[in-house]
Amino acid sequence: MTPELSALAVAILLHVALQGLFAVRANRELGPRYTTGPRDTLPERPLGSTTARIQRATDNSLDSLILFAPAALMVGLSHYGGPITAAAAWVFVAARLLYIPAYALGLAPWRSAVWMLGLAATVVLVVATLV
Amino acid sequence: MFTDELGILALYGLFVCLVLFLQVSGAATQFDMGYLLSSRDEKRTLEGMVGRMERALNNSIVALALFAPPILILALRQHGDGLSLVGAQIFLIARILYVPAYVFNLIGLRTLLWLAGFACTIGLYLLAL
Repeated sequence: MTPELSALAVAILLHVALQGLFAVRANRELGPRYTTGPRDTLPERPLGSTTARIQRATDNSLDSLILFAPAALMVGLSHYGGPITAAAAWVFVAARLLYIPAYALGLAPWRSAVWMLGLAATVVLVVATLV
Repeated sequence: MFTDELGILALYGLFVCLVLFLQVSGAATQFDMGYLLSSRDEKRTLEGMVGRMERALNNSIVALALFAPPILILALRQHGDGLSLVGAQIFLIARILYVPAYVFNLIGLRTLLWLAGFACTIGLYLLAL
């Protein structure tokens, strides 16, 4: 396992944990009758603001993984890896971890700053495969 | 193992990042900075070309999620050939043109480009098998 692939594994587990956190909170707020139903209509009461923030953080986490996973796989499985890409991959994981409390607690501008950091780390990995 | 198809995947990944950058820049023209940096508890909708850019971005991300696996499978199985490279190249061109086609509301062309990209993706999965 190269460092980029290890970071990808941790990033996926982090996303699953975040998804789990959202699911537990949503079930508590909306009730299992709604969450296990077909959700044809909006729930009677909307999600609380913190849970709604966690939902948006989860959506963004998935988008970030769609960009990060191919980048980590390309670098991790090829000879393009090195100290810079290893550091970038772990910076991505750290940024995505910090993104969650930053979103939930409404820490402006830190949410945007760590989001940008995670994206920049992904770009470093992709560019490493092209140079 | 680094194949030409993987190079296309890397280019498409960078292109999605560029669209993301353009979308954020566009959003900054419609929303104030305070809202953009906040946790966005109040739902606001982007309008016009920026709204289209947002939808084009979301579709580009979905297309990336589907495109990356066959390219990686082809590389790992060393199944790539001239056909898979052409498929990846057509995908890249179609998906790049898709964004301006969406933003400038080129009805018909946008759908055609989406279909071209989707057809290439399916073809790449078949080649990966």
